[in-house]
Amino acid sequence: MSFEPKILGILCNWCSYTGADLAGTARMKYPANMRSVRVMCSGRVDPGFILNALRSGADGVLICGCHPGDCHYVEGNYKCMRRIPLTKKLLADMGIDPRRLRLEWVSASEGARFQSVVTGFTEEIRTLGPLELRELNFDAEHPAGTAQEISAAAS
Amino acid sequence: MKPYRANVMVCAGTGCVSNHSLEIKKAFEEEIQKRGLADEVQVVTTGCNGFCGAGPIAVVQPDGIFYQLLKIKDIPYLVEEHLLKGRPVPRLMYVPPEEKIHIPKMNDIAFFKGQMLVALRNRGMIDPENIDDYIARDGYRASAKVLTTMTPDEVIQMIEASGLRGRGGGGFPTGVKWESCRKAKGEPRYVICNADEGDPGAFMDRSIIEGDPHSVLEGMVIGAFAVGSSEGYIYVRQEYPLARERLVIAINQAREYGLLGDDIFGTGFKFDVDIRRGAGAFVCGESTALMASVEGRVGEPRAKYIHTVEHGLWNKPTCLNNVETWATIPAIIMRGVDWFTSIGTGDVSENPWGGSKGTKVFSVAGKINNTGLVEVPMGITLREIIFDVGGGVPKGKKFKAVQTGGPSGGFLAAELLDLQVDYEQLTEAGSMMGSGGMVIMDEDNCMVDMAKYFLTFTQDESCGKCAPCREGTLRMLQILQRITDGKGTEEDLVLLEDLSHYVIDSSLCALGGSAPNPVLTTLRYFREEYEVHIRDKKCPARVCRQLNVYTIDPNLCVTKGHGCGVCRAQCPEKAIVGEKNKAHSVIQDACKKCGVCYDVCKFDAIQIS
Amino acid sequence: MISIEIDGKQIEVEEETTILNAANALDIKIPTLCYNELIEPYAVCRICVVEVIRRKRTRLVTACNYPLRESVKVRTNSERVLKLRRMNLELLMARAPAAKIIQEMAAEMGLETTRFPIENPKESCILCGLCVQMCQDVVGAYAIGFADRGSKREVSTPYERTPETCILCGACAQVCPTGHIRMTDAEERIIHSKLSLGPNAAITIPFRQAIPNVPRIHAEHCIHFKTGECMLCSKVCPKDCIHYDDKDEIEEFEIGAVIVATGFDDFDPTPMKQLGYGRYPNILTGAEFEQMNNAGSPTGGKIVMENGEEPRSVAILHCIGSRDENYHKYCSRVCCMYALKFAHLVKEKSNAEVYQLYVDMRAFGKGYEEFYQRILDEGVNVIRGKGTEIVPNRSGAGDGALLVRCEDTLIGKFREIPVDMVVLCSALEARSDATDLARKLNISAGADGWFIESHPKLGPVSTTTEGIYLAGVCQGPKDIPDTVAQGSAAAAQAMKMLAQGQILMDAAYAEIAEEFCSGCRICNGLCPYNAISFDETKKVSNVNSAMCKACGTCVAACPTGAIAARHFTDEQIYAQIEGILV
Repeated sequence: MSFEPKILGILCNWCSYTGADLAGTARMKYPANMRSVRVMCSGRVDPGFILNALRSGADGVLICGCHPGDCHYVEGNYKCMRRIPLTKKLLADMGIDPRRLRLEWVSASEGARFQSVVTGFTEEIRTLGPLELRELNFDAEHPAGTAQEISAAAS
Repeated sequence: MKPYRANVMVCAGTGCVSNHSLEIKKAFEEEIQKRGLADEVQVVTTGCNGFCGAGPIAVVQPDGIFYQLLKIKDIPYLVEEHLLKGRPVPRLMYVPPEEKIHIPKMNDIAFFKGQMLVALRNRGMIDPENIDDYIARDGYRASAKVLTTMTPDEVIQMIEASGLRGRGGGGFPTGVKWESCRKAKGEPRYVICNADEGDPGAFMDRSIIEGDPHSVLEGMVIGAFAVGSSEGYIYVRQEYPLARERLVIAINQAREYGLLGDDIFGTGFKFDVDIRRGAGAFVCGESTALMASVEGRVGEPRAKYIHTVEHGLWNKPTCLNNVETWATIPAIIMRGVDWFTSIGTGDVSENPWGGSKGTKVFSVAGKINNTGLVEVPMGITLREIIFDVGGGVPKGKKFKAVQTGGPSGGFLAAELLDLQVDYEQLTEAGSMMGSGGMVIMDEDNCMVDMAKYFLTFTQDESCGKCAPCREGTLRMLQILQRITDGKGTEEDLVLLEDLSHYVIDSSLCALGGSAPNPVLTTLRYFREEYEVHIRDKKCPARVCRQLNVYTIDPNLCVTKGHGCGVCRAQCPEKAIVGEKNKAHSVIQDACKKCGVCYDVCKFDAIQIS
Repeated sequence: MISIEIDGKQIEVEEETTILNAANALDIKIPTLCYNELIEPYAVCRICVVEVIRRKRTRLVTACNYPLRESVKVRTNSERVLKLRRMNLELLMARAPAAKIIQEMAAEMGLETTRFPIENPKESCILCGLCVQMCQDVVGAYAIGFADRGSKREVSTPYERTPETCILCGACAQVCPTGHIRMTDAEERIIHSKLSLGPNAAITIPFRQAIPNVPRIHAEHCIHFKTGECMLCSKVCPKDCIHYDDKDEIEEFEIGAVIVATGFDDFDPTPMKQLGYGRYPNILTGAEFEQMNNAGSPTGGKIVMENGEEPRSVAILHCIGSRDENYHKYCSRVCCMYALKFAHLVKEKSNAEVYQLYVDMRAFGKGYEEFYQRILDEGVNVIRGKGTEIVPNRSGAGDGALLVRCEDTLIGKFREIPVDMVVLCSALEARSDATDLARKLNISAGADGWFIESHPKLGPVSTTTEGIYLAGVCQGPKDIPDTVAQGSAAAAQAMKMLAQGQILMDAAYAEIAEEFCSGCRICNGLCPYNAISFDETKKVSNVNSAMCKACGTCVAACPTGAIAARHFTDEQIYAQIEGILV
């Protein structure tokens, strides 16, 4: 059985969610691995969501928002654009491959693009393999080791 | 104070100064020094002596010996003879015309005898640049009396009762003017001294300021006290630099002595004066134009329906008087109303316009033996001034006319010689008192030319603001020019008279209102001369050159002049032909009537017909 | 009050009234020349001289400035007065023979000629001084004055040079009684770009349909704002409506709805150098051509070139700046129809040839296509091809000073058409401050600057911001019928909202729990709608729920988690995530 990644998608209401809707109504096929949560704006995305998702069993998180300049709330996507690289660094420090987090811009008319983004990301996570963060035991007294060691142990 | 046994009063009025009187003074001082008399004899420069035709003048006091027509080379001899040896020098003294005997004493000379000095009371007796001289002759006693013992109303009453009338030409009762000014509302108030004296040939005011500036200042202090002013202006015409200089010196000295400025005589009364300069406009002698000029605006008059005593300088109550008027005030205060009203004509007890009181300064000029400045009592006849004081017409010529009042006045013919000098009488005769100019004309004057002369002046000086004066005087002058060129017509005389009345009636100010007077009076008394010019195209006095015909008497030319050819050489038009020893003749067509040939011929061979 | 008799008629007047005013009250006419009721009487022409009999003395005075202070008799027509008047006019006729008013007044008195020699038969200045007084006292510019003295007096400028202080107000020309002073255009040509409707006074009603229909002062032309003087308008206003120190005031209203109808700007064809706008004469934009054709314009509606002559031929170029890769890609919609209207006007008002250079004819509305047909029937030369270049016609051939180059696509040839005048139908573009306004109002503007409606098909007059509506070209190019329709629609929507008395707010908005707010104010700057303010007393931030659009940016940023987005709380999202991934 090949590994089927679990991907959480966080889509902004106005552009990417509608884009996803468009992909759907246009009957575009994309892998079912991604399940999405809708927020009003990509700027709503708290890094906590990402970390929580990964801890809750997600193998990858895909954030989609409006193209820069087109955010329905003017600048929300810029805020997201600031937070995601920081979150990626945080993930790396934690020993999680930062490629598991991706930020993409999908507009309301880009159903096809949504399809290709999701397909591409799913394949990438499949290549990266399962994260299995839940199995890791964190002993505050005895830390399990360095990030690399934990990574190595997990894979 | 060192007493001198003799004072040599050298006249330093502008006329004598321009004839080297200051060098004469120096010559006196040097010679006196040389002779070791410096402790005994003082040389003093005074203001204008008055007898300008006899200048340079020196009077030795206390003897009262009058020396005239002095030259620098005369001085050493004079000093030696008179001052050292006590022998006055006859050849330097005055000899009346047509007579042989000299008159040593000044007060015996007719010119001086007939005068009564009030405004010119200090004439020839003080150094105008020395305030002590003025004070020594009772100067500033009048202002002291006024400031310390009288009220403004008392002063005004006194001047009103005296009947003093404006000496600038208007003849307005001074006391009435002061009263109106005092009653007017507004602060601050101003007093102005009009020293613009624009009449050509008039120098009364100049002589007063140059000779006795303090008299004017004292008068202004009194006037300022009467109307309640603390600021005064003296408007001196641009062309009187010496007068201005002497005024500045006088003002500074008076301020130093506390007779001008803050707290005069310690009474708390404050009054100070500033000098303002004219800039060469005759019209600025008119009071509203003068005030505009002081304010820094263009010197143009305005309607006098709103009086300047109520709204004058900077729209405030202003009392403007002439130099001579101011100079007379202290005399009246000191000597009293009764004294002043005893001089002159008429009765001013009920009506301030009822008479002409006091004296008037006249500048006598023209065809007269004794040219100069005279002060005579009102009521004196023209005959007395011209023939007694003035010494009559020189060279035995016949008197023709006298012009009074400058370019605003009129010509009076011989039949009016017994007219009394008085505001009303002169005006009734068609002339006016004016500021005091008096020009005498003899048979060699052309009356049309004289009218043209005065009209040329007023036309040039017209400010141009109102149409009648600007256009009317121009057209009148054009007509007169035509008449003197031999192109006049009978209609011209009618037009001239119509224009004259129009200009007088419609003009905005008194310049236009009086400019036609010379024309009207000459038309009235000398109409025949106009007729000759028009009808016969001739000028009886041979003054209007375009009407002259110049011919050469061949007899005289050959027998007396031997055909000298001087006229031929001098003629700018080359209109004279002839050869040496032969009679010369004039080519009439080429002759431009310049009259040079007439002037240069020594043999009277050139005839004018 | 004093009792005066003028020419036998009695009247009671106040003290200090002038004779002239008293006579006017009695309908007695005293002639004047240098008198003007707006200016202090100068009393120099002396035409108004009359006789005043006061206490048995007769005096001659000028009626315009003599103040009546006691009971007097005045005679304005006595023989003496008439004689003076006649002489006065005779002299003035010689001074200024070309002054009509003098001749008229003289003729009234039976005076035909003057006896005095005339120096300058063309002279018309009577030296009344009205112009000088106007310039010095009323306007305060001191640009002209009297020079020289006596009969040489004349009105002049300092050193006879063009005065620096002249503000070109024309007051001197206006007040001159003989027409001696005239205002002329220094260049004497019609500058199309500077034509404006109506007169050019400093205080005008901008145009006839202006709202409010009241005059306003143009400070850049007003004498008072240049010299501090004049103020004649306020002196004649009977209701004291004019206040020079009025300043712009900022008033604050609480409003429920805003309708944005800010219109458009005209595209300036100057950057299109090949078209020569601004370089060669007689090339106009559509708006300038429209202004010239208006009956209230300085040309009176006539179509004229800069030199004042009528053009022999006119070219009308469509799509200037619109449908253009380099300028605006969109179509400005209205140009085709107004261009056809221009063609029709030219044909109606003159005999000029008209060349219509179009790309596509957009005659989309009611009667539009029929109008296009009519134009074709009127003999307009309709060429399908964009006008690409305009140059001066140096060869001089043909009926035109300019040469329009184009490709006539229907015949497949390049053409050079000589014309005298070119009208460029320039694009409609968004106003330069559109994006600023959008930001202020919290609405969006598109890349072209037109404001974005809430839905392109279903919401043309509303915006995504509650309470703000759009009408007219600011939302996109449209013509008058459409604008009117939009206006009504926006008004209706606004009224609907206001009639409800309440706003239905979105249930989703952010809330700050005060007890958790640390007052760090990170959120304040983040909100794109400025919905978060800081309470200085409580030292906490709070969200204006009406303005909040629930984007959630502040929620994510709050370090203490004090902000919660209603219906999109962290807990809810966490729950969703959990639910998805388990």
